[in-house]
Amino acid sequence: MKLGLTCEGGPPPAPVLDLLERAGLPVAALRVLAGPALVEAGEVTWLLAAGADVLEACARGALDVGVVGKDLLLELAPQVHELLDLRVCRDALVYATPEPGGGAAPRGRPRVATRYPRVTRRHFAAGGRQVELIAFEAAALAPGLGLADGVVELRSRLALDDAGSAGGGRPAGLLVREDVAACSARLVAGRAARVLGGARLGELLERLRASAEER
Amino acid sequence: MIPEGMRDVLPPESGQMRAIESALCRRFEVYGYGEVRTPWLEYAETFEAVEDDTMEAGYRLRDQQGHELMTRTDMTAPVARLAATRFNDRPLPLRFFYVAPSIRPWAPQRSQDGEFTQAGAELLGLPTAAADAESVILLCDCLAALGLRGFRVALGTVAFYTALVDSLGLDDDREKFLEALADRDYPLLESIAGNAGVDQNALKVLWRTLQLSGTRDGLSQVRKMASSDAMDAAIRRLVDVGELVGDAGFEDAVTLDFGLYQDLTYYSGVIFEAYAPGAGLPIASGGRYDGLLRRFGWDIPGVGFAIALDRLHEALEKAGVAPSAAPACIAFAGGLDEPARAMELRRAGWAVAALPGDAPAPPRPRLQRSGGSYILELADGGEVSGSWRDVLRALGIA
Repeated sequence: MKLGLTCEGGPPPAPVLDLLERAGLPVAALRVLAGPALVEAGEVTWLLAAGADVLEACARGALDVGVVGKDLLLELAPQVHELLDLRVCRDALVYATPEPGGGAAPRGRPRVATRYPRVTRRHFAAGGRQVELIAFEAAALAPGLGLADGVVELRSRLALDDAGSAGGGRPAGLLVREDVAACSARLVAGRAARVLGGARLGELLERLRASAEER
Repeated sequence: MIPEGMRDVLPPESGQMRAIESALCRRFEVYGYGEVRTPWLEYAETFEAVEDDTMEAGYRLRDQQGHELMTRTDMTAPVARLAATRFNDRPLPLRFFYVAPSIRPWAPQRSQDGEFTQAGAELLGLPTAAADAESVILLCDCLAALGLRGFRVALGTVAFYTALVDSLGLDDDREKFLEALADRDYPLLESIAGNAGVDQNALKVLWRTLQLSGTRDGLSQVRKMASSDAMDAAIRRLVDVGELVGDAGFEDAVTLDFGLYQDLTYYSGVIFEAYAPGAGLPIASGGRYDGLLRRFGWDIPGVGFAIALDRLHEALEKAGVAPSAAPACIAFAGGLDEPARAMELRRAGWAVAALPGDAPAPPRPRLQRSGGSYILELADGGEVSGSWRDVLRALGIA
């Protein structure tokens, strides 16, 4: 069985590994491994890679299942089946702007920096609002730089660490204005894997579902 | 050099593709289907009549009278148009097949070439489960005839989930539910059903039903969940089709799949998709489209499918059963100057590429004149040197 896990510059998130472990999957070797990597563990082959890679491999039938964030599923709308909400790594995509007095005066067509252009475009278009999109990886830093009036970003990424980079604990001076979408880790399968996986995939799914509900 | 998303097909792949196409055509003919060829340019309204975004997305141009034309995006609509306008005084059923390229605007994420060839078969005029079954049987037969092993045809029905939505009483969330189904987002489906007050047990069954491609166990669960006549009828229809396909010897190849969803909007009943190991996307898809021909002025039912030839070819290659292309061709140095000798070999069934006498040594198998005698070097390393008669004997001709 081939499974893909999302990791960003380190091992896959511990809550995901804990959940997989409770479902009886061999994850021991993964806790200290940073992706990208291919790991053989018993009957399982693990792919540790960026979420987009995991999705591509699933869509093309190279993986049986993968674990990716809902944020990425919303952004990429890949050709996969979203089978299960694993209920870990909960987060939210939010629209945030600098605290009052901390940013430029509001304008009719605010500039929004984001790593999620598709999600952002749809969110504002649904409300009939116009924004100027700025594709920017370090979105949380964009308002401080004077580059944008707001950001659409994961709530957990709005804070800065002591070195001033996003993803730490210190607020970046941004105030959440709107929720855009709730996110968590999801189990996905390619269209072929879902049909060809048969009883084996069904059994894995039951175990993971039980494991996700245990918490 | 060529537009994005387009590609050239080279030997030996081109030969393999042709062999696959021939094998498929033969299967279609064995079931009594007749080949149709339609123009690659149609009036835009032919595709607009289908009212489906994918169908209407062809390249548009105008003829000298100002009519709007469109490159074909699919073959089902042209075949429906052809049947409704050219065959509407014929007895039913009608059976047509085609092998034809279509063009759709290309995007990097589409994982489908801008131009793609499909081999398809349409059975028109029969509304029955038996007609659905013939279409699925023909598809299974095509794939099996090519030696593809381990393929699965997922059998679902549009009628099931539309009836499901009705029976859940999702007044406001109906659209949302269908959208989530289209996005294949099962957690969202579950939460919409949960909000609608579907009880926990039914929810669990629903989840299992839609999420996975079915087993016998899944079927009994779905039966338990059926809460309306429409759902009952949809399930019974699917089971009937599955049994007929099983009777034809393809029981292991089909799987009932109540969560199967087709993006094309013209499907009205049973739908199906074929998958093979190593190909992520379906190698064939099809279904019943009873409202489609009415749009062209003849209200008869129809069912059919199309095989994506490039994906099928890939699956056959991965399975190691791609048909061998042209037979090994003997390169005959000096053959251009001895057409009679080259012909003698060709008449005996050998492929011979005639070259000038001073051609640089081509790969084996090769044949070369050397003074009064010939040197034949075969692909397996065998070598014969001698008279023309010796060459003929070595090739099993004389």
